[in-house]
Amino acid sequence: MNASRDIARDGSAPLKARAVPARRSFGWLNSSKGLGIVLLTPALMLVVLFFLAPVVLTAVFAFTNMSTATGITGGAYQVSPGTLRVLTDRYGMRELAARLGQPTYIVDEEGLAALEEMGIDPGIIAGLRDEHLGETYSSRREFEREIRDLPDRPSTRTVKQISAEFSRSLANARFGNAGALVAAAEAIDPDLGDAEKEALLDATYTGWTWTTDNFRRLASSPQTTRVLLNTVFFVALTLTLFNTGFAMVLAITTHYIPERPAGIFRIIWFLPRISPAVIYVLLWKWLAWDTGFISAFLDNFGVRPRNWMLGSATNAWVFVILINGFVGASMGMVIFASAIKAIPQSLFHAASVDGAYRWQQVRHIILPHLKWPILFVTCYQTLSLLTAIDHILLSTDGGPGGSTEVWSLWVYHTALNNYAGNLQYGYGAAMALVLVVIGVVLSLIYLRLFNYSALIVKPRIEH
Amino acid sequence: MRILLDKFSKSFGDVRVIEDMTLEIKDGEMLALLGPSGCGKSTTLFAICGIHKVTGGRILFGDRDMTGVPSQERNVGVVFQSYALYPHMTVAENIAFPLRIRKLPEAEVKRQMEEMANLVHIEALLDRRPAELSGGQQQRVALARALVRRPNVLLLDEPLANLDAKLRLEMRSEIRRIQLETGITAILVTHDQVEAMSMCDRIAIMNAGEIIQIATPQEMYRNPRTAFVAGFLGNPPIAFIEAEARGGMLAVKDADIRLPMPANATTPPDGTPVIVGIRPENLGRDGDAPIRGRISFVETQGRENLYDLTLANGSVLRSIQRESDDVSLNDEVEWRVRSDQLFLFAQNGERL
Ligand SMILES: Nc1ncnc2c1ncn2[C@@H]1O[C@H](COP(=O)(O)OP(=O)(O)OP(=O)(O)O)[C@@H](O)[C@H]1O
Ligand SMILES: [Mg+2]
Repeated sequence: MNASRDIARDGSAPLKARAVPARRSFGWLNSSKGLGIVLLTPALMLVVLFFLAPVVLTAVFAFTNMSTATGITGGAYQVSPGTLRVLTDRYGMRELAARLGQPTYIVDEEGLAALEEMGIDPGIIAGLRDEHLGETYSSRREFEREIRDLPDRPSTRTVKQISAEFSRSLANARFGNAGALVAAAEAIDPDLGDAEKEALLDATYTGWTWTTDNFRRLASSPQTTRVLLNTVFFVALTLTLFNTGFAMVLAITTHYIPERPAGIFRIIWFLPRISPAVIYVLLWKWLAWDTGFISAFLDNFGVRPRNWMLGSATNAWVFVILINGFVGASMGMVIFASAIKAIPQSLFHAASVDGAYRWQQVRHIILPHLKWPILFVTCYQTLSLLTAIDHILLSTDGGPGGSTEVWSLWVYHTALNNYAGNLQYGYGAAMALVLVVIGVVLSLIYLRLFNYSALIVKPRIEH
Repeated sequence: MRILLDKFSKSFGDVRVIEDMTLEIKDGEMLALLGPSGCGKSTTLFAICGIHKVTGGRILFGDRDMTGVPSQERNVGVVFQSYALYPHMTVAENIAFPLRIRKLPEAEVKRQMEEMANLVHIEALLDRRPAELSGGQQQRVALARALVRRPNVLLLDEPLANLDAKLRLEMRSEIRRIQLETGITAILVTHDQVEAMSMCDRIAIMNAGEIIQIATPQEMYRNPRTAFVAGFLGNPPIAFIEAEARGGMLAVKDADIRLPMPANATTPPDGTPVIVGIRPENLGRDGDAPIRGRISFVETQGRENLYDLTLANGSVLRSIQRESDDVSLNDEVEWRVRSDQLFLFAQNGERL
């Protein structure tokens, strides 16, 4: 009896001793706060990596002039006829451009050292240093005449060699950094002003720079208005006609037909959503091609075959909205159908005996119950339509003639893929940023709306 | 308005719920459809209001055949078991809904709605939503909504099932008051016999899709047509014991008890097995036929005591008597039965 009690006591003591420190060091895990942070860390990292980082990068790129020409790493300083023209046109420094662009010959120690290296007669070098050091010539002929007149009388070949060593023209020169360019320019024109240096650096820099020009350009471009109107048109029409309107029609009709056909019907309407976009759009293209179904069918009636999708702007819009609409309608249909299903059957019975025919039931029973689902689908689909790109890209690619170019597609064409080949990452990012801002603002409004709704919607009567 | 179900049948696919039921509800009458769960009460009601299409027979309102008329045009007021109030409408809108659907002028809608709200005493609640009402208040709103269009017939599907005991008692008389005040023909579906007996002019007892008996509550209580009916009415319920006809008497099986043949019963031939029904109030200190047994259960109900009397053969009879303390549990007693109040049934439950 005693022994066993002792064993029990002895046995429990080390256990306790071990358990206590363990509990102390991980005690914070037991508080919901500590554990919450641990559990949230992977999620937070994912959010930062995949949700925040793209937005932040877009915002950063939006304030640069990155393009295929500038690359996305740093650049060099390249003087070319082009940059000299920029200097003239943009900065009004015609004289500087002329000076830098002219062939210029300067007799300096650097050139003399080079001559020594080449093994030119030291007498000639000494003559040049004594008589011409520091002089500048703007024409080769003049300079060469001076060389020929030296006391040592160099041969014509040597004269050419010498003059080449003193050529200090900037035209077509490339410099790795700003210091080298400035040094070279000062060699030609020692009186270069700060403003002139600045302009020169700006004009010759081939890398990207920080700028707000993208937004200025966006605000003033006539294409902006057009694409914006296209986008609003596309979103509004697809949303009202299909994502909510047609979805509601589907949900309501399937509510009033027997369960089995209704289920089959819903699955059929769901197919566009779950079929791969490429294949789905390809089917539409087959339908609309000049050798496709529509053309073949109408051929029987003497209509000349043509591409019905890209035949005109109106046709293109019809197809774009149909293609996106059928895909988008399924989500609304499912949400509306389940919301309608959640309405107690007895309400429909009550409405029937109260004298309400079907369309009155729809109006007085179904629609009031769909208020929040409709709002939700509208909000959600506005956002997804604003960024919708795949189906339009695959079907019309914004054509014909940019008539179905919507904002997101425009971003894609500007920044990632266009015929001209100059991809303007910075400008595209600026456009994308506008879209992001609109999306965030809308989301915030919607979130408020839904939170608010959660507060004010009263519990429904229990059935 | 008189309602007539003429050889009405209803089946769901292969499931035949009701076959050839004939039932007449007189003008201004309140009829109870009483029966166990699943016997087809709601189905009958839904057929009358047109929610279910009948599969056979006719439904007549007055002389008009309503069989093919959609529910929207039948002008039937229904109080559903769940009340089925429109959750997104206020009480006022709920009551006014049938009128607005009929496109009555707004002033008229308002007048009738308020009149009805007064009738069911919910004037003060008109701006609330159903979710903000108690069960009894919801019930009144449902009643007002059913009555506001002055229906041909009022159908009530277990309207009191969701209420607590006190409220149920209150609403029982309230519904009856309103029905009498409006003089409307009404059908009350219930499986509570007390409700049926206290509220209705007549009771139709249903079982498995058939109407077993239609009669006034008293008539049905005193003169049940089958053992099922006798068993359904009365609380505490009737007790049945098995017996055999023997020499003009009833010999209780496996017990030394002989009961006289009730006067109103046809005497079966000797040796016929029968079932004897004895209501608790007919077994007690006075009566003409003695019954011996052991008291196996006593329940004090205040004014009265309820006893279970176990006979020698193990059958249990119930007795309800004025409160007294001269008998207690496990006492052997000899009590008496009023033989003129006995019910005699054949093996198949038919009254003899
Ligand atoms: N839609 C239906 N499909 C198939 N069978 C049904 C359907 N509706 C009812 N039934 C069957 O019909 C029978 C009667 O149903 P009903 O609802 O009329 O019963 P009830 O008498 O109202 O019962 P309760 O008192 O439980 O409400 C039941 O057996 C039920 O299973
Ligand atoms: Mg029922």
